[in-house]
Amino acid sequence: MMGNGKKKKIGIFVCHCGVNIASVVDVERVAKELDGYTDVELSTDYVYMCSEPGQKMILEQIQERGLDGVIIAACSPTLHEKTFQNVAELAGLNPYMVEIANIREQNSWVHTDKEKATDKAVKIVKSMVEKLRGNEHLEPIKVGITRRAMVVGGGVAGLQAALDIADHGYEVVLVEKEPSIGGHMVQLSETFPTLDCSQCIMTPKMVEVSRHPNIKVLTYHEVESISGFVGNFKVRIKKKPKFVDEDLCKLCGDCADVCPQVVPDEFNMGLSFRKAIYLPFPQAIPGAYTLDIDSCLGLLPVRCGKCKDVCDARAIDYDMKEEIIEEEVGAVVLATGYDLYSMQALGEFGGERYEDVINGLEFERILSASGPTGGEVRRPSDGKIPKNIVFIQCCGSRDPELHNSYCSKICCMYTAKHAMLYKHRVHDGNATVFYIDVRAGGKAFDEFYQRTVDEDDVLYMRGKVSKVYKEGDILKVRGVDTLTGKLVEMEADMVVLAMSMVHADGSGELMKKLKVGTDKDGWLAEAHPKLRPVESLNAGFFLAGCAHGPKDIPDTVAQASAAAAKVGDLFARHELLHEPTIVPVIEELCSGCGICISMCPYGARSLDLTKHVVKVNEVLCEGCGACAAACPCGAAQQKNQTDEQIFSMVKAILKG
Amino acid sequence: MFEPKIMCFLCKWCTYAGADLAGTSRMKYDTSSINLRVMCSSRIDPQHILYAFKNGADGVFIGGCHPGDCHYVEGNYKTLRRVTLFKRMMEDFGIDSRRLRLEWISAAEGKKYVDTMNEFSEQIRALGPLHLEQVTLTKEEICHE
Amino acid sequence: MNIHYYPGCTLKEKTTNLDDSTREAMAVLGYELVEPANWTCCGAEYPLSEQKISGLTAPARILRQVHSEGGGQVVTTCAFCFNVLKRTNVDIKRNPLKNKQINAFLKDDIKIDPNTKTKTTGFPPYNGEVDVLHLLEFLRDEVGFHTIRAGLKRDLSGLKVAPYYGCRMLRPGGGIGIDSPDSPVIFEEFLESLGCRVVDFPFKQECCGSYLAVSRPAAATEASYQVLRSAIINGADAIALSCPLCYYNLDRRQDRIKDAHAGFSGFPVFFFTQLLAWALGVAEDVLGLDQHYYNPKSVLHNQPKTEVAQ
Repeated sequence: MMGNGKKKKIGIFVCHCGVNIASVVDVERVAKELDGYTDVELSTDYVYMCSEPGQKMILEQIQERGLDGVIIAACSPTLHEKTFQNVAELAGLNPYMVEIANIREQNSWVHTDKEKATDKAVKIVKSMVEKLRGNEHLEPIKVGITRRAMVVGGGVAGLQAALDIADHGYEVVLVEKEPSIGGHMVQLSETFPTLDCSQCIMTPKMVEVSRHPNIKVLTYHEVESISGFVGNFKVRIKKKPKFVDEDLCKLCGDCADVCPQVVPDEFNMGLSFRKAIYLPFPQAIPGAYTLDIDSCLGLLPVRCGKCKDVCDARAIDYDMKEEIIEEEVGAVVLATGYDLYSMQALGEFGGERYEDVINGLEFERILSASGPTGGEVRRPSDGKIPKNIVFIQCCGSRDPELHNSYCSKICCMYTAKHAMLYKHRVHDGNATVFYIDVRAGGKAFDEFYQRTVDEDDVLYMRGKVSKVYKEGDILKVRGVDTLTGKLVEMEADMVVLAMSMVHADGSGELMKKLKVGTDKDGWLAEAHPKLRPVESLNAGFFLAGCAHGPKDIPDTVAQASAAAAKVGDLFARHELLHEPTIVPVIEELCSGCGICISMCPYGARSLDLTKHVVKVNEVLCEGCGACAAACPCGAAQQKNQTDEQIFSMVKAILKG
Repeated sequence: MFEPKIMCFLCKWCTYAGADLAGTSRMKYDTSSINLRVMCSSRIDPQHILYAFKNGADGVFIGGCHPGDCHYVEGNYKTLRRVTLFKRMMEDFGIDSRRLRLEWISAAEGKKYVDTMNEFSEQIRALGPLHLEQVTLTKEEICHE
Repeated sequence: MNIHYYPGCTLKEKTTNLDDSTREAMAVLGYELVEPANWTCCGAEYPLSEQKISGLTAPARILRQVHSEGGGQVVTTCAFCFNVLKRTNVDIKRNPLKNKQINAFLKDDIKIDPNTKTKTTGFPPYNGEVDVLHLLEFLRDEVGFHTIRAGLKRDLSGLKVAPYYGCRMLRPGGGIGIDSPDSPVIFEEFLESLGCRVVDFPFKQECCGSYLAVSRPAAATEASYQVLRSAIINGADAIALSCPLCYYNLDRRQDRIKDAHAGFSGFPVFFFTQLLAWALGVAEDVLGLDQHYYNPKSVLHNQPKTEVAQ
């Protein structure tokens, strides 16, 4: 017997679908055979159930006969389930008391034997009656929304997402771990394929973010932990001490002048030096110095104190401590960006051994007018202008055996840009690019690459480099030209490695804390590769930029705007509705073994330590039922698809 | 002539949609199977499969999403593990493990669904009737033992 | 102490100097090398084709023999033998299918009782129980480089030696090569323990030309020359290596290199075990230095004076 044991009044409506069903299935016989089946109050057929008169008939029958469940034997539920649920709702019947028996796509359209198809249709409808007999009235689970978003990462993706969300009229908390927003884009010289100056287009955006009344910028902050669920997150954020009051700092730079500690400058990729108290770069936002405690001579026990002595603004405070702040948000945009694969991993290219073997970002700084050489192409070891330069693509990319199997996507284009910009600055220089394939898919990309080859005379050598080594003062690049099959060896004054992109350092741990899924390479996993490319599977988290995978700037900005639009879409709702066909726990049956907890991919289940039974967060449960199948006690039962319902359906199908 | 009964459990997102596609494409296949839609193939408990055999099924088919495509992250992997283990137990129960089949059929693979159904029906026909229902326990006995 | 030692064919034929120097040096360190009974050729090349299981049976048989004699490890000096034995062993351990296939071949081996001369089959399966070690690994991990340093009898401090790994000791990575394929240190540390001055040179992991010496001799000559040249211009007095084929290409074929490159006048090449034996005080005549094309004896006797570091 069904769980609730009460007798139901079920109405069955068999659709002819013109001749689509009726030409193969004897619909009248189906209706007749169901008449008198357990709990069936009414069984009838009609030519088009989805038509206006058809719907009207169902509505009237529900009301007249006081039906408490209907079955429409018609097409696939993917087509008209919603239609008939609406009819039921209009008639005052809970929409979860509507079931569709699929006798078209999975019966009349795939069979020709009328007798057998009709028998099959009867069984299908009977199985749905059995299901419906066990259904209960359900209401969507309603949840309120905190209309405030957090954006993690202050690169171009994070800035764009923050601006868009803020322009929608919602508040945004922007968290960046570095002392300034701007990310990698502000480090770039010029951008392909238009050769826009990167800083010229990036800094106005940074200023806009810092001035936007809806955006709260938290630099030098890191997300510590998160709790709650979509619409209602509580985030704990670690505020790292800058030891400089952002509001008081006047950017005079006196502190840096007297600071005795010199360390490599991260912004210039270690090609120049900065002090322990420093401004990351002139246009940094917020415009305030930061005291890097790891490089400082030490606040305690022996305090150098020179910077504080010279600060007229009294902005330096050695007593600042790490703090934890809490924010409540309804959605999170993850824009944690990328790092470059370590050159050390490719020992054969000598990246960490030879000063003049550098990565693409280092070359960007060399090309940048604000860089360590003022935009002149000079090599790091001795400042000479390199006359022979070799670019090696796919360094660590497309190498499933040893490194990363994926393509880093932007390297072909930025290498073309590097070679072009080099030739623009060193007219008598020779640039050679070693490549596997040139992948220039994108608007105006291939034309750009062709220009590099045709107009700027860059030599493209198809092949792989096996080794970069030094003989005397000269770098030698040994490789193979795979078009001729010949070994090539050429001399170079400087070698630029197009290092593979990898997910940002530390993002793995962060995503673990946030319980956001990543793929095998550590990039954020999207909910669906085609249809939901900017959402995480974990509701309330959205993806933007390279955190999700290698991307160029336009794609990054587009994805950031899309993520922001998704956040707006979420916030525009009155409340969140969640499918109620979840898997709750029957506490009397639960032994507290916790097997179901390990089954749940959403972390919706946890152990109630006082009652020693499993509790379910209804909002997180997506209703897959994996836990229900695993529960040894039958305590996990999916709403409207309980084990008893499945058993009854199976029996109806096989014996009916 | 032996007409096999095949019980199919199809996941809503992939195989059920694949079966729909076979219909909209007007492909034809054997009438011996009837489908039951579940949200995810991982909803299928080995008890459901055994119950089907006990109630007269000559074959049981489970259809899920391809590895990596599961709507619920990794439900299909759970199904794969369960089915693999259950097939071993079936032999102990005296049921030929070929009577249970798991396939990954996507929403785009109507043809694969049709081929699989025809092939499986043929196989079950060749294996002959199972007749397990003759020694069947009652539903309550299975549920509560 | 007895250790299992697989010399391989070449050490019994063309490079007895490698075999002899290994034995003598290890004897000084207190190890006697025991060869597994009835050993055969290792196959010389690890078959890369997935289907070619028969090529793995010879090395697997050798390893099974070591195991049946109670050996927990087997040491080799030939880089080729090491590579084949190690990869086969790793296959047997990590790849259940190959394990099954190899053992299926091996189980039909015929066992002859030495007393009754009766033939039986049915060897117990071999599941990768033996550890395959290159002698350098054994020296580092079992003997200890410090032990070598403590037992030095002859001075090598004036000799600048370039360690030449070649390919088989290091590749493939992932638990087969004895050190990082790109930045290895084990050979360098070994030479330092002998008191030599180690010369780093970029061609230390490049190919010597290998079997191209047979099919395309000119290409092998050129490859070998590049290795020697790189060692020379980086200031080495000699090269040390472990592979008989590298030795053949780098030393025994120096006449062809001379023909091809007028400026090349010959260069001393040692097996690392010859340097080890020499440093440990083994008599010079057992080192087989006369077998070399370029007799390296003179550099041992007339070591350049140690230069003062600038």
